[in-house]
Amino acid sequence: MAVAFAVLAAWLLVTGIGVVASRRPIYNALFLVANMLGLAVVFLILNAQFLFAAQIIVYAGAVMVLFVFIIALLNPESDVTVGRSRSEWLLGGLSGAVFAALLIVLLANRDLGGRPGPFTPEVINHAGNVQSTGTALYTTFLLPVEVTSVLLLVAAVGAVYLAMRKPR
Amino acid sequence: MGVPAYYFLWLSGVLFTLGAIGVLIRRNPLVIFMCIELMLNAVNLAFAAISRYLNSLDGVAFAFLVITVSAAEVVVGIAIIVQVYRAGRAMDVDEMDLMKE
Amino acid sequence: MSTLAPLVLLLPLAGFLVNALFGRLLPRRVVAWVGAGSVGASFLVVLAIFGQVLGGQRLDQTYWSWWATGDFSVPFNLYIDPLSTLMMLVITGVGFLIHAYSIGYMADDPGYSRFFAEMNLFVLSMLLLVTSGNFVWLIVGWAGVGLCSYLLIGFWYERTSAVLAARKAFVMNVIGDVGMVFGAFVIFLNLRALDYGTIFARLHQLPRGGTVITAICLLLLVGAIAKSAQLPLHTWLPDAMEGPTPVSALIHAATMVTAGVYLVARMHLLYDWAPTAAAAVAVIGAVTAFFAATIGTVQVDIKRILAYSTMSQIGYMFLAVGIGAYAAGMFHFMTHAFFKALLFLAAGNVIHAFRDDQDIRHMGFLRRGLPITFWTFLIGTLSISGAPLLAGFWSKDEIIRSALTGTNTLTVALGVLALITAGLTAFYMFRLFFTAFGWEWLAHDERHLHEAVRVQTVPVMVLAAFSVIGGYFAVGSFLNPVFGEARQIGAGTQIGIGLVAVVTALAGFLLAYQLYARRPALAPAIQARLRPVHTLLWRKYFVDELYDRIFVRPGYALGAFLSGVFEPRVLDGLATGVVSFVQLVAGDWRAWETGRVRRYALWTLGGAGVIAGYFAWVLLVARSAP
Repeated sequence: MAVAFAVLAAWLLVTGIGVVASRRPIYNALFLVANMLGLAVVFLILNAQFLFAAQIIVYAGAVMVLFVFIIALLNPESDVTVGRSRSEWLLGGLSGAVFAALLIVLLANRDLGGRPGPFTPEVINHAGNVQSTGTALYTTFLLPVEVTSVLLLVAAVGAVYLAMRKPR
Repeated sequence: MGVPAYYFLWLSGVLFTLGAIGVLIRRNPLVIFMCIELMLNAVNLAFAAISRYLNSLDGVAFAFLVITVSAAEVVVGIAIIVQVYRAGRAMDVDEMDLMKE
Repeated sequence: MSTLAPLVLLLPLAGFLVNALFGRLLPRRVVAWVGAGSVGASFLVVLAIFGQVLGGQRLDQTYWSWWATGDFSVPFNLYIDPLSTLMMLVITGVGFLIHAYSIGYMADDPGYSRFFAEMNLFVLSMLLLVTSGNFVWLIVGWAGVGLCSYLLIGFWYERTSAVLAARKAFVMNVIGDVGMVFGAFVIFLNLRALDYGTIFARLHQLPRGGTVITAICLLLLVGAIAKSAQLPLHTWLPDAMEGPTPVSALIHAATMVTAGVYLVARMHLLYDWAPTAAAAVAVIGAVTAFFAATIGTVQVDIKRILAYSTMSQIGYMFLAVGIGAYAAGMFHFMTHAFFKALLFLAAGNVIHAFRDDQDIRHMGFLRRGLPITFWTFLIGTLSISGAPLLAGFWSKDEIIRSALTGTNTLTVALGVLALITAGLTAFYMFRLFFTAFGWEWLAHDERHLHEAVRVQTVPVMVLAAFSVIGGYFAVGSFLNPVFGEARQIGAGTQIGIGLVAVVTALAGFLLAYQLYARRPALAPAIQARLRPVHTLLWRKYFVDELYDRIFVRPGYALGAFLSGVFEPRVLDGLATGVVSFVQLVAGDWRAWETGRVRRYALWTLGGAGVIAGYFAWVLLVARSAP
């Protein structure tokens, strides 16, 4: 288990850096796909099989495919970021480092602090992972689910509308 | 479960920070978007981890909703970027300052 | 009575509303009927009330609660007793006669309906003033008559002199109003009440002759002085003659200027309790009486002479109420209303005949042309001079008698002054009569003057009748329930003083006769000899000039400074300064709206960092604490 975690952690970190640091956007996209797949496996470890499936199907499968298509279509040049001024790098790097430190300090809190719930992995697996998640979604999280569905509708309509307009 | 919970959280934090740095540094809007996705993924990781360690289903469900929302957001964002491209403007975030003032 | 009392007020109110709102659209006859009729109807109601009051009825009735918070309540209540009834009778009775007269006098004026509306409003306010049962509505009526005075003095508003006079009257009135209102404040602070009943009941809580009660009475006196044109707030009255003659008759002779006297009389319990203030009242009254009479001896405008005469007679009333002879003061008020209104209205006829020339030196020989006016004016002059058995004689004599038989030297001294003034009164009034009306019985008159129309002469005749018989109205005993029994004075003293008064008046008459009837050439010669005295009197003791220097010019200077310097620089500067400041700050802040996404992202991240930092700090603290 620990081994698996170590490997996956390394994978995520490497691909993450790749997402941020690549020159050409297509490499960015590919690195991100790899990151997502790695994350999916992590979900498996965490006994969130439904999420594993959703991650692969929706995120890596649909969203990233969209990204790749667009990149292929638009064929944007390589980012001229590297030639940017020193101050921008400095600013970004500095703020990032500060933020990271803060996060680390935050997360240095070893205990999670929350109150443990009843859904131990055994219970979940007994009832079936997908079924349990589904039940949770449609009972406790019913309102967010409905709102999100409306959101998707809005997004779809919006995207179609945006695409239809003649560009100015 | 040999791995302590906070390992996952640290990992999540680092990934989040990476994404944040990327948002700040890069100028191509598509790349910025991808960094945002990275940040969202990191958050999902945190959700799933806490959900696992606190024996709850809330985190998992919420992570799913995050995925959904990010998908919607990506769709609209890409549409905008495509429009910007078709208008002949540069693919540079610093040039897209129509929201000025 | 409780239903009749508000009716007295509602009738003139209705007249005012009709004429004010619709007057322009109505035919003149209707306007006249409404205007004069409302006052006449009100008079009839007052007669009914008078009958009830004679039978002993009183009224102190609250009709509606106007304002009540905590223990401060101001109801609308009416207070009817012999004093207010007397006032109401005069206001509506004489008022009606004057309104009727105006139908003729103002017939050619384009502002006909406006005139009647404003006159009705005045009657309403004056009635409110005298029937009010608490200070608040008294002040409302007080201010109302001040307003109407302003409106009516400046009735012919195209005339600069009229407008200036109206403004002067109003400003002086306001000075008085301030005093009045402060007096009411002090009353409320100390007695926690504003209605007469409670005030009178609680009066004795205050120490007699103490600072508080004296202050109250003096403050109220300021208001009375301004309204009644006594020294030193008197300068507006002569100028007020710019208004139409009926206005002068009603407002500046019979009623409004007597409001001050009414105030002191109504508050007689207070003034009894503050002897110093009462003495001030008496002194001011007597001095004003003398002062005004002296000025009247040299004036040449018929209305101005009458104005100074009014000032002087009101001084008599103030003297009376100041020394405690309240009934005598009110008696003189009534008789004065009769003969002064008479004099003004008759003068109005004369002015009309001379096509608005008011200089008495241009008049004369009026017996043939204006017979009714001639004889009625003569009756009025006799009455005011104190000719025996006429109304003025009885009332003025009572005042002089009360003063001369007073208990302290000041009172007696004032009585002597009043006596001298009586002689002066006879003098200047007959000077007026002889100069303006002439005494030649047989002279021919080439000017073809004609008498006024009936609606103008009948009221004058009615008033003349009252100027004769008015002395026999038992005002004193009528007012006994209010003021208590009058002091009994021996018959011998009465006759003695009466004789002295008559002799003094006769002396004045004879002097005037000599100078103006028999040997007219003598007067200019004396005037030349006494030139400085004449100038002093002619210029009204230079009081106007004094006030101009002390108050008016600095006032204008202050106004110029405020509007020219203070307002544009300071006030506008403040406003534009705020605008500039906001623009400055906004300009700086506009730099934030760069539209550059990454800049925004940076700040977002920064903000998130701050929040994270806070939580981290909390955690660290929690960690380190055991």
